[in-house]
Amino acid sequence: MDKERDILKWFEGELSFQQLTNKYPNDDFSTLEKVNFYSKQIKVPKVDTYASLDAFKLRNSQKQTSKVFPLNYKSFLKIAAVFIVLITSSYFLFFNTMTSYTTTIAQTDTLTLPDNSEVVLNANSKIFFNKKAWKDNRNLNLEGEAFFKVTKGSTFTVQTKEGEVKVLGTQFNVNQRPNYFEIHCYEGSVRVNTHTKYQILAPGQSIKIIAGTMGEVENFNAQNPSWLNNESSFSNVPLWQVIKELEVQYDIRINASKVNTSQLFTGTFTHSDKNIALQSVTIPLRISFKIDGKAVEFYNNESN
Amino acid sequence: MSTPKPKLCEEDYFNTFYLEHIQAASNFAYFKCGNSDTSLDYVQDAFQKIWGNCSKIDPDKAKTYLFTTINNLFLNHVRHNKVVLAYAKAAPYKDQTNLNPQYLMEEDEFKKKLLAAIEDLSADQREVFLLNRIEDKKYKEIAELLNISQKTVEKRMSAALKIMREKIDRTKF
Repeated sequence: MDKERDILKWFEGELSFQQLTNKYPNDDFSTLEKVNFYSKQIKVPKVDTYASLDAFKLRNSQKQTSKVFPLNYKSFLKIAAVFIVLITSSYFLFFNTMTSYTTTIAQTDTLTLPDNSEVVLNANSKIFFNKKAWKDNRNLNLEGEAFFKVTKGSTFTVQTKEGEVKVLGTQFNVNQRPNYFEIHCYEGSVRVNTHTKYQILAPGQSIKIIAGTMGEVENFNAQNPSWLNNESSFSNVPLWQVIKELEVQYDIRINASKVNTSQLFTGTFTHSDKNIALQSVTIPLRISFKIDGKAVEFYNNESN
Repeated sequence: MSTPKPKLCEEDYFNTFYLEHIQAASNFAYFKCGNSDTSLDYVQDAFQKIWGNCSKIDPDKAKTYLFTTINNLFLNHVRHNKVVLAYAKAAPYKDQTNLNPQYLMEEDEFKKKLLAAIEDLSADQREVFLLNRIEDKKYKEIAELLNISQKTVEKRMSAALKIMREKIDRTKF
């Protein structure tokens, strides 16, 4: 024990090597002597004290100018952003369930609404409604043409850009195209509201609103809209509207700049044959047409 | 203390304190991690803590606080890298008059073994040993620095010497 203490003293410099070897002449201290000597030569990295002080001051000032608050503020923003995304997405997921159905050109679709009302969408049309709120509020938006078989219940509203149609339980057809709004009532009664006027339709009555002007109530005696049977029927409809319907059903572009598109057309065209359909529109109006791929040109029949 | 501002918070006083202890602190950190870059980082972190808490630290205890902080930073830094030490370039041999190549080779061999032995010591033993050897510190000073008793320092030193001696002697042919 004493020897150990003395060795420690020697390493501390309190005792010289000479004194140690004299005290313990029988011990071999050569290894420890070398340990003592060479361990002193171990290199330590020299610090440039002033340079590191400068570096310290620099990083100190950087840290101090941006002290805690802005850092917390930033992380708060991050957390807030995450929450906003979560809340809005869950809102749209769980509360604001807008359901929409769309048909493209030359396509129809039959769908059933949550209350078992039936909707048949004609080509190039779209309906959307709030599924969650449907129970309290039978309200849907329509762009295009659709036939509705509404089960009895609370007021059923079809909203379009041109006006809205309110019913209780009935069958009716709504056709809304740009500047064109036509409603056929097949059963029950229908109230049509435009931005300025309203009209109540009885079964077998229809009404057209062209460019915001409400026409006369007309009678018809079809059981279903003709387009449900793959036909489009028209009764005193301007040619430009017939052309639009042709374009929607056949995915063609009709150039009718050479003919008078405001003349009225009464008749039907089929949805199954493009040539026959074009003929059934053009022949009664004494118009000729040329087909060039998807482009169709109407021109006046000069030979007549 | 009549001055309203604590001494340690005065820039001049702190600068002096910094310059006085940076090398020793850096050595201490180096003994612990064996990498000069990271050790300086630790030391700067520790100084930063002192500067940030300057009003709460007794200037007389600032030095102990500095070393304790460095120590704690290492404890927090769980992963201990292997310590790699090296000798200073052109360090003299023990017997400077003896230029016999046989002697020089043996001494070089010994130095390698010594480094390996030090690197294999436990962190506590190594830091006590190197503080004593390289910094020429008394055991009492080391005890104050590490905030432990002198007895503990001596125990660690003894253990370190014993282990190294055994290791080096065992590899002796």
